[in-house]
Amino acid sequence: MMEFASVITGAVLLLLLTAAALRGWLASRPWGAGPAAGEEDTSEPCPEELVSRVFSRADWEFVRGLKAGGIERLFEQERKKVALVWVRQTSALIRKVISEHARAVRQNENLEFSTEINIFAQFLMLMAVCGILSAAIQLAGPLWLGGLASVAQRLSQRVSKLQETFQTVGLTNAGEAKSA
Amino acid sequence: MLSQSIWWSSIVLEVFLLTRGVSGRLLFRYPVFYGYISFVLAQSIFRSFVHRWSEELYSSVYWTTEFLGLILGCWIVFEIYRVALAAYPGTAKMARKILLFLFVLALAKAAAALWSDPHLLAETTALQMERALRTVQAIAIVALVSVFASYSIPFGRNLRGILLGYGLFIGERVICLTFVPVAGKDFWFYAYSASYLVALSLWLGHLWSYQEIPEAESSQLEREYQMIATATQRRLQEARGYLRKAVGS
Repeated sequence: MMEFASVITGAVLLLLLTAAALRGWLASRPWGAGPAAGEEDTSEPCPEELVSRVFSRADWEFVRGLKAGGIERLFEQERKKVALVWVRQTSALIRKVISEHARAVRQNENLEFSTEINIFAQFLMLMAVCGILSAAIQLAGPLWLGGLASVAQRLSQRVSKLQETFQTVGLTNAGEAKSA
Repeated sequence: MLSQSIWWSSIVLEVFLLTRGVSGRLLFRYPVFYGYISFVLAQSIFRSFVHRWSEELYSSVYWTTEFLGLILGCWIVFEIYRVALAAYPGTAKMARKILLFLFVLALAKAAAALWSDPHLLAETTALQMERALRTVQAIAIVALVSVFASYSIPFGRNLRGILLGYGLFIGERVICLTFVPVAGKDFWFYAYSASYLVALSLWLGHLWSYQEIPEAESSQLEREYQMIATATQRRLQEARGYLRKAVGS
C-alpha cells in the first residue's frame, strides 16, 4: 500500500513539474500579463439569446421538418462546434476570474484560508461542470443536452417534493408522539 | 563501470556548479542550496574513503549521511518557499497553512501506524524509512508548486531551476526507492543514482549566472481582501447561473 502511494506521489510530482516547465507556470511573468498561449479572449461572454438558441431544440425541429438528411447532419455538426466553443469560452472565463482573484490577493496579508478554499472549491466544481458538459456535447450533441437537463430538473423537483412529503410526515408523526 | 561513471560525473558537475556559484555570487543568494551541494560533494568523497577502508562501517556511514542529506533537502524546500514568497505574504500564509496541514496529517498517519503495530519501527528498514520521508517531502513540494502556480508567483530563472531540479530529483527518487533492490544492481539501482545527475544538469543550466527575480507590483494592495473575495464569489456564482440557464433552456 505504502509502495503504491509512493509511486503515485512521485509520478504526480514528476508530471506536475513537467507541466510547470512546459506551460511556463513558474515563468517570470510580469504583472498583468495577457492570457497565456492557447487561452481564448474572454472579455465578454456570449449573448444569452445565442447560448439558449444553441441548446434549444426549436431550430432542430425546423431542420428535421425539411426531411433532408444532409442538412440535418450538417446542422448537428455545426451546432456541436458552436456549443463546444461556448463551453471552452465559459471555462476560460472562469479561469480568468480565478487568475484575477489570485493576482489581486497574493500580496494581501489579510487573506483568509477558509475563504480561499471555498473559492477554489467553487472553481473546481465549475470546471468539472464544464468538463462534463464538453464530454456530453461530444457524445450526445448539444440538442439532447437541453432535454437531459430538463429531465434532471424534473427529477430533482420530484426528489425535493418527496423530501418535503417525508418531512411533513415526520413532523406529523413527531407531533402525534408528543401529544400521546 | 556504470556506477563509477555516474559517481565521477556527479563529482565533476558538483564542482562545476559550486565554481559557478562562487564566481556568479549565487552562493550568497541561495546559501542553503549551495550548502547542500557542498555537503553532497563532501559526503560522496567521504563515503568512497570509508568504502575502501571498512565495509562494515560503510552501511552506517551511508545511512547517516543519507538522512542528513534528507534534512538539508527539507531546508532547500524551505529556502524556495522563503525566497519565492518573500513579496507575497498572502500566498505565504496560504502555503504555511497547507504545509502545516500536510505535516499534521503525515504525523497522524505515522502515529496511527505505530499504534496499530508497536513493532513497526523495529521492523522498518532504513530504505523504507527513507522512502516514507521522501514521499512526505514529495507531497510538500507538490503542494508548494500547486500554490505557486495557482497564485501565478513569478520565478526568476535561478529559483525556478532549483525548484525544478530538486523536485524532479525527489520525484525520481521516490519512484526508484520503491523498486530498488536491497542487494544487487538492476535498472532501478542505476536509475536511483542517475536521478541526481539529471538534477545536477538542470541546476547547472539554470544557475549558470545570476538572474533577478521579477519584482512584485502592488497595484491592488489597497483593496480589502474581503471585497476582492466577495467580488470573485459573485462572479463565480454568475458563471454558475449562466451555465445552468444555458443548458436548462
